[in-house]
Amino acid sequence: MNNAIDLEHVVFSYPQGTLSLRGISFSIERGRKVALVGPNGAGKTTLLLMCNGILKPDSGRVLVNGEALSYTKQGLLDIRRRVGFVFQNSDNQIFAPTVFADVAFGPLNLGMEKEEIRTVVDEALFSVGMNGYERRPPHHLSGGEKKRVAIAGVLAMKPDILIFDEPTSSLDPASAAEIVDLLDELNAMGKTIIISTHDVMLAFEWADEVLLMSDGRILHHGPPREVFIDQDLIRQSRLTVPPVLEIFCELKARGILSGSPPSGVLELTHSIQQAAGTPENTRPGTIFVADAEQVSGTEISEWVSDHPGARVGAMGTSAKRLAEEEHIPLDFTYGVIDKCLLKVVLGQDTLIISSGGMIRRVCERVSEFSREHDLDIGVSPIP
Amino acid sequence: MIDEHLLDDLALQNGLLEVDAKLKLAVGIGAILIGVFSPSPVAPLVIAASMAVCTIVFAGIPARVYAALLAIPVTFVSMSIIVILFMTGGGEPLWDVHVLGYTFTLTTDSANLAVLLLSRTLGGMCSLFFIALTTPMVDIFSVMNRLRLPDEFVDLSMLIYRNIFVLIGESIAIHNAQVMRNGYSTFRRSIDAFAMLAGMLFVRAWEKGEEMLVAMDARCYDGKFQMIEEERRISATGIATATGYLCACAGLAVLFRSFRIF
Repeated sequence: MNNAIDLEHVVFSYPQGTLSLRGISFSIERGRKVALVGPNGAGKTTLLLMCNGILKPDSGRVLVNGEALSYTKQGLLDIRRRVGFVFQNSDNQIFAPTVFADVAFGPLNLGMEKEEIRTVVDEALFSVGMNGYERRPPHHLSGGEKKRVAIAGVLAMKPDILIFDEPTSSLDPASAAEIVDLLDELNAMGKTIIISTHDVMLAFEWADEVLLMSDGRILHHGPPREVFIDQDLIRQSRLTVPPVLEIFCELKARGILSGSPPSGVLELTHSIQQAAGTPENTRPGTIFVADAEQVSGTEISEWVSDHPGARVGAMGTSAKRLAEEEHIPLDFTYGVIDKCLLKVVLGQDTLIISSGGMIRRVCERVSEFSREHDLDIGVSPIP
Repeated sequence: MIDEHLLDDLALQNGLLEVDAKLKLAVGIGAILIGVFSPSPVAPLVIAASMAVCTIVFAGIPARVYAALLAIPVTFVSMSIIVILFMTGGGEPLWDVHVLGYTFTLTTDSANLAVLLLSRTLGGMCSLFFIALTTPMVDIFSVMNRLRLPDEFVDLSMLIYRNIFVLIGESIAIHNAQVMRNGYSTFRRSIDAFAMLAGMLFVRAWEKGEEMLVAMDARCYDGKFQMIEEERRISATGIATATGYLCACAGLAVLFRSFRIF
């Protein structure tokens, strides 16, 4: 079994009698990024709460990593360790008087030893970029910081599946983008991620697959391009078409563009350029990649001062931390690969500071883009 | 200038944050006890002055904020003093006041009692503010933990502390919503609005409790909710200073035990 979560004919109604889920079945493979979209009251939160046993289906089964949930005390403890849940409102999730105590709550209840808890909490806070905040009370944190602490509290239990109920709602756009970047980083570490969201652009650009829900049913389950291109489906589930797709559809209707819908701004820009027939006289620039864990900060700063025109982006917490410590001005802190590709096509050089599994992702994305558009974009590591 | 986060904010940024919480608590509580048991106003007044200096100079609490905070107990105590001055008797008469045909007499004993009351209140409040403004609640929890207070008690205090701020936030939001729609425009309406606020707050508190339970369950709640805090070493100079200070205060209390102003 390679599925992280399976739901089989799950039916659920609240004690008041309202039927919330009317027979839901789907499977999510491990390591995927899934967005659950749908109107208010569609049952998104109810569905998510099914996945870690907070709610129990009236009929049907929930399977995590191929095993059916057991609703005994031990079974629930086990499932909640493996499936981390980040609530929409961080204030409800953070109940301890300090950041440290809150993140330590899960490990403490899992029966870890003092020293182990300290290490786990340090790691969790580091991976969300919140170390140094241990002694702060939660009411002294901003919304984005609270969200990070809430995520750290879940990460400290080392789950392999992470569920986020509207992770970007009530955050300012930059904080929201940083949280999304963090989700990507966690995904690159091999975690399966499921989010619910009303943000169509986020679901469209970020997700590998989209679950479209309405009135307690799954209307569609598939890649975002497939879901969001279907006007009837979109109207029925009270969503809007992402601007990128809308522009594409309008240009296609006018006979300017053709082919399959783009997956983001990068593809759209490129196909418009091709349609406009502007000669691509510029030779594409090079994407330089620095591994934050291998290359020292001084080497990166030197590189940046040697290449004054180059745009610099950082992916992941340790890369951003390094850039901050070395006072390297960052042009991009989210959606880094696509934004760099946009500049590279214009002939500019860019530097991506990153680490671990995300570096492989950069190479994959760049070679995929070069292949699709028949460009020769070089990726070269520094130093 | 005084809002719900003020004391907490100041305590988290104060200059004596790194001093061990146990030491600060011992000094504060010790000073309160000496002040309350001192028979003359001398020791409590010295305590009040030294605590105020300590809080403003060493902990770096703005004097204006400190004065505003101190004004609250001072207002209360001044009202009681007026009553005590004219309602208790004994000793030599000092001053007669005629109001609406009645005569009120101020005597030496009542004046002494009033001065003692004022000085004890000031001494006690300044010591209490010293604790409140230099020791964040979080540190007090770890002291409670180390003093082996029952886990249930410490856990509850921690949850209460966290939720006070959540509930204050809620009540401010409800109050603002009411004010924006003329909730408190007349006396009658303010009574209605206030009743509604109290009712809503109860419901919200209940809801928050349920939500918190779900959040705790989602993180494998198994009955444990304590703090693991880093160990801090109390410096020898710290202990010496604290002991010296408390001994000096106690000495003053004993030395001036029969001192009276009037």
